[in-house]
Amino acid sequence: MTQSFKNWLKTIIFYEILVGMKATLSHLLHYRPITLQYPHEKRTLPDSYRGMLALLRYDDGTEKCVGCDLCEAACPSRVIKVFSAEVPGEPTKRFAKEYYMDMTRCLFCGMCVDACPVDALGMTREFEWAVYDKRQLRLNKDQLLAIGDRAYPVREKRLEFQHPNVAFFNVAFKNLPEKES
Amino acid sequence: MTEVGIKLAFSLAQIAVVMGIVLLTVMILTLAERKVLGWMQDRMGPMEVGPYGILQPIADGLKLFFKEDIVPAGASKFLFSLAPILALVPALIGFAVIPFGPNKTIELFGYQFQPFVISDINIGILYILAFTSIGAYGIILGGWSSNNKYSLLGGLRAAAQVISYELNVGLAIVGVLLLAGSLSLVKITEAQSGGFWHWYVFAFPFPQIFAFVVYVISSVAETNRLPFDLPEAESELVAGFFTEYSGMRFAFFFLAEYANMILVSCIAAALFLGGWNAPYPGTLVERLGLEGLAWVEGVVWFAAKVYFFLFLFFWLRATLPRLRYDQLMRFGWKVMLPIALGNILVTAIAAYLFPR
Repeated sequence: MTQSFKNWLKTIIFYEILVGMKATLSHLLHYRPITLQYPHEKRTLPDSYRGMLALLRYDDGTEKCVGCDLCEAACPSRVIKVFSAEVPGEPTKRFAKEYYMDMTRCLFCGMCVDACPVDALGMTREFEWAVYDKRQLRLNKDQLLAIGDRAYPVREKRLEFQHPNVAFFNVAFKNLPEKES
Repeated sequence: MTEVGIKLAFSLAQIAVVMGIVLLTVMILTLAERKVLGWMQDRMGPMEVGPYGILQPIADGLKLFFKEDIVPAGASKFLFSLAPILALVPALIGFAVIPFGPNKTIELFGYQFQPFVISDINIGILYILAFTSIGAYGIILGGWSSNNKYSLLGGLRAAAQVISYELNVGLAIVGVLLLAGSLSLVKITEAQSGGFWHWYVFAFPFPQIFAFVVYVISSVAETNRLPFDLPEAESELVAGFFTEYSGMRFAFFFLAEYANMILVSCIAAALFLGGWNAPYPGTLVERLGLEGLAWVEGVVWFAAKVYFFLFLFFWLRATLPRLRYDQLMRFGWKVMLPIALGNILVTAIAAYLFPR
């Protein structure tokens, strides 16, 4: 009886609505916005952030890429196209004559970076790539190298990679040989 | 001739001032709504144009002004152009009888003028009800003439909703009219002077608190605001009756909605919360010895009450989800209407037993 009377009373004084209005008002009074004013303030990216793909160079400025096509094979959405060729005058060495990458379809999965045997690819922390023309997102080798140049201005090898077995080929992170203790 | 000329000039000046204030308030409201809604939902609201986004209404206005004016193929051109005007004019014309400040007369060139009400006609509230009903035609015709299913559905919903809830608004007001014994908004407001216990929400012989609640809910429904925004229900009907409208015609509908909000807030303040009367007898400014400035306090109190109602509109919008259509109709006819009728009955008996 008293319970049903209570419920009836709650109905006629719009109790539930008042509870909701109290909640919204408390949010208004304790105003703590979660908005990030994006172009003016940017969030801190996580350490393993995978942004724009880049081709890297050695310290002396030569391209790392040897044109092996493994990134093309590893790419799940077939974004990368590599045209391999011999280095002129050095028949034992190869390089990527042309390297295309279609940014519009890239998943940013990082499999090409894992696949690369000489660590010639890298994911940068760039993500602001809005353009007016979609065709500008089909990148060639020079553009990818330029991204690498501005994303990794210092190409010194990190300490954990300085191992006799990785002297010439910078093998990918996960297949690193055991370090001598 | 000169008498007519002077009176006409004064009236036109009054109209210009009132329209200016109303349109300025609409501008403030569009920003305030987005800001308040944002703050209530832990967002910031517009922040880009000007410091803290305060110039956003100007940017919006400019954008709407320069937008392409599209008339959809198959639309009834005449009615399509007429509908926004039909929606806006009744919303603005209602302000003619709203008393914004104390009922005093000033003498100018030997003639008497009332500065705070454009025209104090003796059927003020009836005039407002009549004209706001015409506003529904604008919505219905706008929905029909767009040659769009969603617009038509929105228009039909608006028709049913406005008719159902206008009845409740009218009946809720009757209680106040019985107590005041007048239809003039100026006389009704004056009858509530002398402290908040004389306001008709609390007044002897029968407090109009039920009528007040019915009026507030019904006026929210009548202005098609959330939680009763079924005519424009954006998740069901794209944008309802103004789906096909763009540019200045859309702006007209937008203005009409906000002007209607201000109008119903003004009526609620004038009828139930004592209009420009302060919640204490007399005015503070008068007691300080500045009789000439007592009107300032009256206007400030009126504005405060109106803005309280406008804030309530935003607050409800931030809190409540939209009603289903059958719930809306059932609530209007089976809950609000009996309460309003019962209020009239009790108020009539009370007013008969305790004549003023």
